[in-house]
Amino acid sequence: MDFALIGHQECWENINRFMQALRGEEAKKISLDEIKEIYPWIPPRTVFRVKVTSLYSRKQIKGVYIDSFIPPDHLKPAFLRSNLHRVQEAAAYASREKAKIAALGGFTSIVLEGNILALQTDTYPVFTTGNTLTVAFICKGVERACQYKGVNPRQASLLIIGSTGDIGSGCLHYFAKKFQKILLCAQHSVSLNTQREAISSVAENVMASTNANDLIPLADIIICAASVGTPQFDLSKSRSNVIVCDAGYPKNIDFSPALNKSPYLFYGGMGRVQGGIESEPDLPKAFYQHPLPHIVHGCLLEAIVLALEERYEPYSSGRGNIRVEKIEEIYRLAQKHHIVLAPFFNAQGLLSDA
Amino acid sequence: METQQKVPGTQSTEYWLAVADIFSQAVTGELIGMANFASLTDIIQDTEEMIEAVEHAYSERGHAIGFLAMARKYELKVNINLQGTYWKGIRESFLRWAGKKDYAACILIQEIMLESFAVSMYQEVGQAMNGEIGELFLQISQEEESHLHHSIEFLRVALEQDPKGFEQKVYEVHQDCMTILSELAGKSDARGHCGVCYGDCVKHSLHHVGLDIVSLRGHALNLYMKSLDKIGIPGEKSLQWIASLPV
Repeated sequence: MDFALIGHQECWENINRFMQALRGEEAKKISLDEIKEIYPWIPPRTVFRVKVTSLYSRKQIKGVYIDSFIPPDHLKPAFLRSNLHRVQEAAAYASREKAKIAALGGFTSIVLEGNILALQTDTYPVFTTGNTLTVAFICKGVERACQYKGVNPRQASLLIIGSTGDIGSGCLHYFAKKFQKILLCAQHSVSLNTQREAISSVAENVMASTNANDLIPLADIIICAASVGTPQFDLSKSRSNVIVCDAGYPKNIDFSPALNKSPYLFYGGMGRVQGGIESEPDLPKAFYQHPLPHIVHGCLLEAIVLALEERYEPYSSGRGNIRVEKIEEIYRLAQKHHIVLAPFFNAQGLLSDA
Repeated sequence: METQQKVPGTQSTEYWLAVADIFSQAVTGELIGMANFASLTDIIQDTEEMIEAVEHAYSERGHAIGFLAMARKYELKVNINLQGTYWKGIRESFLRWAGKKDYAACILIQEIMLESFAVSMYQEVGQAMNGEIGELFLQISQEEESHLHHSIEFLRVALEQDPKGFEQKVYEVHQDCMTILSELAGKSDARGHCGVCYGDCVKHSLHHVGLDIVSLRGHALNLYMKSLDKIGIPGEKSLQWIASLPV
């Protein structure tokens, strides 16, 4: 097995579709309440098998998607211990599948605080958080959105919500010298202040706050990369032409267009496999509601890119280690295999630049 | 069914009625297990395996006697009904596969499906109840666990010899037996009253002893899926089977 993708579902709506699809069209539908009584007891396991083809090398690689079955309402600190146990079980499952490399999607890397070495065994697999390719897709996406909307970064303010996290800090390293003003937001004031002081030597104009609402009105571009169980930020006080890249999983922004001032909001950190992905059983379409096929989160795609390159190494590990050189390298490797930035979309569908 | 239960200690009447029903289910289940292991002797050729099956039957008998003795000590009335709706269905399922002289299928029913439920449910009951009753359930849970481990190696080898064929067999046995077990542990009584509990089914009064049927069933299915994993059944297959069970 070339790779394993370890993940979890971000909302019960996805799980509902997924469980109904598992039962098949002929079976009696079960209610969401009944699903909530079954789902949390399912141990981590392979959910479907995938084949990915590189349009560059024509090489086809095989992998598995392993779901940790962490319920969406357990994505909070109170469930840290049980979530950690589930990630360990999922990692053991990847080992059982003899995957050479495994990516840890969404919360599965967050609960480890980046310490993926804790999962490492003597044999299979090598683990990567996949965060470097996620950061690459976020940053390249933001640049493309700025170009499309005619925003000059040299004259604009960038807000990063979740700036001290692995993904947020990776984005900061990439953009520190590119924007006129950098606005940083994170939950813990100590690490936020440390980050502000450190980045002030590189970026000219830096502001920081633990309260996103203080900074949202000042931002021209917002990157959301906070670890939150449910959407927590709203754009009611944002600038009317703000560009928002919501890269949270689960999503960070409470996106109710009626309340907002028509922001250009897209879901970031996503890539598209132009060579296609075959799934058996074909369940992804049941729980991923992307407007186009073969769109996958960057963190998972990183394992695929590394497997295509036969580079079985912990490319992304730890926290705060993502640097520009590695962002550019993994992005270039992805492009080489025709794994490209996904077209812009949000809950309402494809955006005009898609 | 009307009954008068002696109520020892400080616990409520409802508590002891629930405990009596739990004992009734446990003893009936153990006797079904004893009968199943005894039936295995008809289809086993290997002498040592035959002796082992008898030993397992004897072990299940011991568990039933242990539960009965404890219930009597607390003057709880235990209702043993091997003809109860669900337990009878499980026994019939076992006998169908025994009739085909399918040893592996019988082991799947008795040592994987039934034992997964026994191990996890006894463990939860044991943890929920204080004192010697809880200790007895925990002790028997541990003993049943050894049955579970004992069979996994045998079934793993059977899967390796014929992956497709054996996987299909596990699916058929699952459909046959786990559907009934799942109904037995479901929130509603899909096939009517179980014929074992006094009055209303104990699953509706488990809260009196600090338990609930969703958790009991969830733990049991969790252990069952992990057992299938250890045998080598692909995770995506067992997931689909579990998702299709009645709730």
